[in-house]
Amino acid sequence: MTAEPKVAKSPAMIEARGVEKWYPNGFHALRGVDLTVQRGEVVVIMGPSGSGKSTFIRTFNALEEFQKGSITVDGIALNDDLRKIDAIRREVGMVFQQFNLFPHLSVLDNLTLAPVLVRKRSKGEVLNQAMALLERVGIAEQAHKFPGQLSGGQQQRVAIARSLCMEPRILLFDEPTSSLDPEMVREVLEVMQGLAADGMTMVVVTHEVGFARQVADRVVLMADGQVVEEATPERFFDHPQHERSRQFLSQIL
Amino acid sequence: MPASLRKELFATPLDGVVTVLLITGLAAAGSRLLHWALTQADWAVIQANSTLFAVGRYPIEQQWRLWLLGALLAAAAGLSWGVLRGLALPDRPTTALWPRHDRLAASLLVLLAAWAPAALGLTLTIQSRWWGLTGLLLLVRWLAGRYGSRLGKTAPLVLPMVWPLLYLVGMVLIGGGLGLVAVGANEWGGLLLTLVQASFAILLSAPLGVLLALGRRSSLPLLRWGSVVYIEFIRGAPLITLLFLGQNILGFLLPGGMAPDRIWRAAWILTFFSAAYLAEAVRSGLAAVPRGQLEAARSLGLSLPQALAKVVLPQALRIALPATVGQFISLLQDTTLLSLIGLLDLLGTARSVMANPLFLGKSAEVYLTLAVLFWCCCAALGLGSRALERRLNPPSLGR
Repeated sequence: MTAEPKVAKSPAMIEARGVEKWYPNGFHALRGVDLTVQRGEVVVIMGPSGSGKSTFIRTFNALEEFQKGSITVDGIALNDDLRKIDAIRREVGMVFQQFNLFPHLSVLDNLTLAPVLVRKRSKGEVLNQAMALLERVGIAEQAHKFPGQLSGGQQQRVAIARSLCMEPRILLFDEPTSSLDPEMVREVLEVMQGLAADGMTMVVVTHEVGFARQVADRVVLMADGQVVEEATPERFFDHPQHERSRQFLSQIL
Repeated sequence: MPASLRKELFATPLDGVVTVLLITGLAAAGSRLLHWALTQADWAVIQANSTLFAVGRYPIEQQWRLWLLGALLAAAAGLSWGVLRGLALPDRPTTALWPRHDRLAASLLVLLAAWAPAALGLTLTIQSRWWGLTGLLLLVRWLAGRYGSRLGKTAPLVLPMVWPLLYLVGMVLIGGGLGLVAVGANEWGGLLLTLVQASFAILLSAPLGVLLALGRRSSLPLLRWGSVVYIEFIRGAPLITLLFLGQNILGFLLPGGMAPDRIWRAAWILTFFSAAYLAEAVRSGLAAVPRGQLEAARSLGLSLPQALAKVVLPQALRIALPATVGQFISLLQDTTLLSLIGLLDLLGTARSVMANPLFLGKSAEVYLTLAVLFWCCCAALGLGSRALERRLNPPSLGR
């Protein structure tokens, strides 16, 4: 008997089927994309710029609309129902390329804003959790500073902690290290690696090959709004099956 | 001359020439004005009509209400001053209780209180009331600066509540009601009427302008087009036209009792006018907040109203603050147009005084006084806004 996949019984965390999206200018950004992400899985999406990978993960929490296909997140079907969108957004955290911290709030207030407003938790309780999370991402001593006073790497770690403070079931990363200076990339990747080790379900759009090799359960290559190849990191990086994958890898490696 | 000053004023020969010419010109004009003001001007026209300029034909036996309001205003101003000074951000430790600029401002206030009432030839009783108001302002400023920081971060939140509340109290004190004798709007005049009109329009146009700006960026077509049409219509018409138009049609447009007479109709027109311009200021602020802010807030589960109230608007309004205060300053000056529709605001009072045969040929004295009064009000608004702006800027690495 082969070992059971770790989450075979429970339904998938994200189930995307035949997702198609056109931008208002007519550009066909997603051309029938399928993806299944299991509980506790780490999926890395790679691909050239303009391939639709960011657009795709932004459909998971309804930051982008799509016109055809279906997406189910943690058992909730994503449609126009605003209450369902709100319910999904509570369960799905997102980390952005530009961090998008709230510059007018202190680091601590960035973390506590949503849990207090959305989950209606008491400020005191959230404060304790927020401090613990800042400890975990290694910047507890910056808790009372403002985002503008932190380095890029520190800001991105705050952004991760801010998402975690909502206790999401899934974390989406949209090129989390792409706007960081090279020496700060590692501190962010280490935090993400720690999360993966703790069993967080993660979908990561990134160009970091080292991270994908070490941490990902699966690598997905997208090009021109379609999934070209989906494989384990070893297979994908060492024995890519498709010409498009080989071409992409020859450009980034 | 300090080196820095020499570098700024005399960097090149051309700079030097320009500097000398300007200084000579300014000095010549200034000394002539001073000479005129001290030797030739006849200030009796101001002294004799100071009450008229201040409050118009407000009944004398009810004027104690205005003094009471003055005391409340002085206290509120002192409170705001002190609280804003004590507002320290994490990277900015609390500074001295009386920083250099504050000492300067306080000294100016004391000098003004000592000189102006006497120069106006007011009775000693009334002079002492002005001293009292000044003393009260500085006392509250001292108390708020000394103890306000103990309230911590909540201290500045008191201000947005104090002023509107004070406005309501002020309207009752001025207009009567709640057991006070009614004093109709047609008995208000002078600076009192100007300030009532301006503050009414400022307080009401601020929320209206924010709503219009949000409406203009809304995804609901009806709301968006409604806001666009409103803003562009108002901005496309001269205020004086709207004021005349308002006198004729506002009676039908607003529910009965909201615009019972000329004065309230004018106040509403000023409000609607100012709201359209404010909407544009706020819109530029909204446009300056990166899209990622709203996305981050929404992806954390905040509803659209929550995201706007807690994330987008605080940033947008801070960016729009200078333009907003600029609009308030124009609004204050625009109140002078009320004199053209026959209201006795500051300018209207001045015109009626100058029409008095006793004071023929005293226009220069009257207009100069008016200009100085308006300048003081606008300078106060500008100073307040800059102080607020500095304290609302979040600290960043570069500072």
